[in-house]
Amino acid sequence: MTGSVNLLVAALGGEGGGVLTSWVVNAARDSDMPVQATSIPGVAQRTGATTYYIEIWPETWAELGDRQPVLALSPAVGEVDIFASSELLEAGRQIQAGYVSPDRTLLISSTNRVYATAEKMQMGDGRSDDKKLVQAAGDRSQTQVLFDMEDAARESGAHVSAVLLGAIAGCGRLPIDAEKFREGIRAEGKAVEANLAGFEAGLKAARGEMAVRETQPHERYSGVTVSSQIAARVRDSFPNGISGTLDHAVRRLIDFQDAAYAGLYLDRLGEFADGDARLLQAVARHLAVRMSFEDVIRVAQAKTRPGRLDRIRAETGANVGDTVVVTEFLKPGIAEFCDVLPDRIARLVLARAAKSEALRNWQKGMELNSSSITGHLKLRMLAGLRRWRRGTWRFRREQESIDAWLGMISDAKALSDDLAIEIAECARLIKGYSDTHSRGTSNFHRIEEALIRPALAGEIAIDEAVRGIAAAREAALADPDGNALSQSLAEEVRPEELQKEAAE
Amino acid sequence: MSAERSFRKEVESLRLGDGEIFHGEGILAVTKALLQSGVAYVGGYQGAPVSHLLDVLLDSEELMDEMGVHVETGANEAAAAAMLGASINYPLRGAVGWKSIVGTNVAADALSNLASPGVVGGALIISGEDYGEGASIIQERTLSMAMKSSMWMVDPRPNLTTIVDTVEKSFELSEVSNTPIIMQLRIRACHVQGRFVAKDNRKPPINTRERKKDPAPFEYARLAHPPVTFIQEKLKVEQRLPAAQKYIREKGLNEIFDGDISRHGIIVPGGLYNTLIRRLARLGLADDFGNTRIPLLVLNVIHPLVPDQITDFCAGRDAVLVMEEGNPEYLEHQINGILRKADIQTRVHGKDVMPMAGEYNATVMHKGLMGFIEAEGLGIGDPASIREEDQRFSAALDGAADAFPAPLPPRPPQFCTGCPERPVFSALKLIQAEVGKVHIAADIGCHAFATFEPFSMGNSILGYGMSLASAAAVAPFQDKRSISIMGDGGFWHNGLTTGVIGTMLNEGDSVLVIMQNGFTSATGQQFIPSSEKGRGGRKPGMSIEKTLQSLGVPWLRKVRTYSVSEMVDTLREALTTPEKGLKVIIADGECQLARQRRLRGEHAEKLKQGGRVELPRFGIDDEVCTGDHSCIRLSGCPSLTIKPNPDPLRSDPVANVNNNCVGCGLCGEVSHAATLCPSFYRAERVRNPGIVDRAVAGLRNGVINLLQGRAA
Repeated sequence: MTGSVNLLVAALGGEGGGVLTSWVVNAARDSDMPVQATSIPGVAQRTGATTYYIEIWPETWAELGDRQPVLALSPAVGEVDIFASSELLEAGRQIQAGYVSPDRTLLISSTNRVYATAEKMQMGDGRSDDKKLVQAAGDRSQTQVLFDMEDAARESGAHVSAVLLGAIAGCGRLPIDAEKFREGIRAEGKAVEANLAGFEAGLKAARGEMAVRETQPHERYSGVTVSSQIAARVRDSFPNGISGTLDHAVRRLIDFQDAAYAGLYLDRLGEFADGDARLLQAVARHLAVRMSFEDVIRVAQAKTRPGRLDRIRAETGANVGDTVVVTEFLKPGIAEFCDVLPDRIARLVLARAAKSEALRNWQKGMELNSSSITGHLKLRMLAGLRRWRRGTWRFRREQESIDAWLGMISDAKALSDDLAIEIAECARLIKGYSDTHSRGTSNFHRIEEALIRPALAGEIAIDEAVRGIAAAREAALADPDGNALSQSLAEEVRPEELQKEAAE
Repeated sequence: MSAERSFRKEVESLRLGDGEIFHGEGILAVTKALLQSGVAYVGGYQGAPVSHLLDVLLDSEELMDEMGVHVETGANEAAAAAMLGASINYPLRGAVGWKSIVGTNVAADALSNLASPGVVGGALIISGEDYGEGASIIQERTLSMAMKSSMWMVDPRPNLTTIVDTVEKSFELSEVSNTPIIMQLRIRACHVQGRFVAKDNRKPPINTRERKKDPAPFEYARLAHPPVTFIQEKLKVEQRLPAAQKYIREKGLNEIFDGDISRHGIIVPGGLYNTLIRRLARLGLADDFGNTRIPLLVLNVIHPLVPDQITDFCAGRDAVLVMEEGNPEYLEHQINGILRKADIQTRVHGKDVMPMAGEYNATVMHKGLMGFIEAEGLGIGDPASIREEDQRFSAALDGAADAFPAPLPPRPPQFCTGCPERPVFSALKLIQAEVGKVHIAADIGCHAFATFEPFSMGNSILGYGMSLASAAAVAPFQDKRSISIMGDGGFWHNGLTTGVIGTMLNEGDSVLVIMQNGFTSATGQQFIPSSEKGRGGRKPGMSIEKTLQSLGVPWLRKVRTYSVSEMVDTLREALTTPEKGLKVIIADGECQLARQRRLRGEHAEKLKQGGRVELPRFGIDDEVCTGDHSCIRLSGCPSLTIKPNPDPLRSDPVANVNNNCVGCGLCGEVSHAATLCPSFYRAERVRNPGIVDRAVAGLRNGVINLLQGRAA
């Protein structure tokens, strides 16, 4: 081998990249080899993307004699031997920067994602496509070591930097014996056991000796009993391909309300059973979600589910003997009260609220200890309101809204399956609580007025409407202020409507 | 001293003696070099990449005391620069360090007044050049500051041996030419891990233990005051400059590496040498050990240039390439002038093939060298191997550019998990949703992360502690009051005078929010006047609140940062009250990084003794969350993230609190203040619970399990 061995590490600030660098530098130093490392910590150490760069000269000082290699302080495009990243997007970033190359670089990356703010904050799904990242990792590097380091770190109780170090030590490209790294970890004397365990996990993964674990999909409503009658309806009245979705859907609605309600679901879905499979899938999915709307009762159901406190307990890492207290943050307002009030009474309340700003804005923030007996009982009482749910104001409004939506899909089906699917997909906009819910509902209605109704009335060409609705739906999820939606609708709406709007 | 990192281990390497090998970071090597040079006093102001210079010295009080070295943390860089005044009258070697260009700007007044009379004791400024990749400030070079004040500037090759050697020689250069020296160290050079052969530390002849009996005699010539300023201006060029040039030449501070390609050459500042050699090696014009085929003049001193050295190097060559980052191209202009005057016809390439702006990294240098080679008619080196390397480089760049169709999401730094400053911006977002947008003057510090998503707040940044001053001429032209954000670090650095006093003096009517977290957190949690603990663990005892009261600030509130609703109410009052004048809100919350470090120790201690420890964290019911992410847009906490929706019928990811949560409480506060959703819960794990804890928990679990129809 000629030239230095160049190692680039990508990490997030605070992940221990500095410690990792020291481990590598110390191991090289203890092997009597010239080594130089640099980093650009600065403010990037506050959880931003950062890199560490190490060059090792693969000869000992003794072998070098008078010669002194000049080592570079920063990586060069196409000249990295080992690239290691504790996170997948950061691997992508360095691939994009040119530091990973097919003729030279061994790429080590964790497959787990730490989402960037730009991905997290979107109203819909702003995540980068992991598959594309993995694809690029494969295309742009010579060899790859890809595994979930976060998982490995959790299992071994080590910091992710120790796992990454193991992978680097085990990748076979460093002129340093793995034992030197172990010595370094021991010499440092901090969390030695855990760090060694993490190191070995990374080492095994790099050598391809790690066992692959299968994760089982979890069915939340597995405890719900489905009557043979409903099961038979699912089996007999619908195509095979949809049975998985329907099985989940009926369990969900029995849990939400009762068997009759699940029956209503199947009734509503019936007219789509023999049509376009995509449409059936879309309606089946969204209808089940819409019918299990998030009223106060459902929230209470979720918060009193058996096993929830155990799950939370595990989440805190509590050992036997530790106690865990769980506090819920609830802030009901008028709307939440109407969730559980009978239709007629709720109407009276809302009529009063329309006149009184104080009432309209009334809210009560409360912190409820759900692990206490009284707290738990309060939530159980709320959950128990389920049997009166059908009479509540909220239930009635939701059913009206669902029927209107289904009606539009049904009408659209006669014109075009694509149009019907787009309308069905718009249900995705209606979600959340309080302001979020009203914003989503209002966005849905804006699209309904501007595109869906005109399309059904034949005022807009079908393909134009299909494109327009899809674009408007994405726009509605682009920003909470509705700016993108306004822009999208302005583009799609016919000129005379624009003039009308301008006149207003 | 810093709360973020302890340098106890590094302190040991500061004691190394003759012939021992020092292993460590660049900036620590500089610290060791100062002690080897017999420095008598060291000062500075923290800031990446030179914070560790002072941090390590403050952690080695014992050694400093033995050596009789005085260490001082300046209130700002002007104070640090003024400290060098000790070397005007006394043969004391002194060094100060800060982040440049910003620190040099703050220090400029003192530096001019230092450079004019000149020094008798060596004076060295360690300038951490926050330039290029990873920099957090405006991109300007420090060279012009050195040139205008006739201070000399060194830019050593970035290996520890050369850096240390240059520190030692800089003191001598400073003394023989009576001129302060600026040593610029780029970010990576400050953090480079390498080694050098150490020497014994030298105790300064006059030190804190062996003091001087009498002050210096009155000598008007040592004052930066007319009429001697006119003489000093002449001294700079007539005496100090030639003395410096003579020393630079005689001691070989600049280095010439000769090669067989005699018709061309490259002139490069020392700091860029390693990158250049690597590029030359790949082009077949050098090897990995610094043996170059194309002759190099390496300027470890970039100001002043030594004209003889330039003409000697250039004479007889067809062309030279001058590599110099930034603009204007001071070196290139001077070299052109020197050659013109000497009537040497060597062509000078520089900014014609190198970019005017930006750091000269490997890619930039490769392209620049190709430009130079092409401009010289491919007459340099072996064309075949050069073409091959160029093709390899281009292929790597093109392949990378094609790797992803769309740009990847950026990941700028952000507020740490549980940061006390984040809730203030949540509150600012909420109050603006209510009263409309207001002008926000941002500042330097962690709180500047609010300029990133999800907050995207701040109309301007004018420098450290400058926010309120920068709003002075905005406020009079706005219907709504403007809000200035300032950290406690910025407040003491100069916000108190430029902002608060300036606004009071002019009867300004605007709102100032001071983030009181107890440290200069962005630079590594160094202590400030209002810190709980300062040097040697003692409390400095100065208070922002009392200071403001003593100034007569008419409207002053102190709000716990995590109390979002209270902060919203306070901001509303500040923005809408009919009361005129400055309104200050002290947003109080200890830096969470420092707090967690403190708590880890305290908890470990308690647990060891079997004591009760509460560990709160937040969580989200993924069945209740609908994946709108409003909470994330209002918080942006790294531990509040997303995960795939476990609901098979929904595609949008749900919010998720990961295991890094420190239970700061913001999630609960925000879900109340913004009426978000009922998904959040706080789970408080109690370790070593008491008898009452356990009894209550047992009863609760029993009853709840019974109600749920499960065996207890």
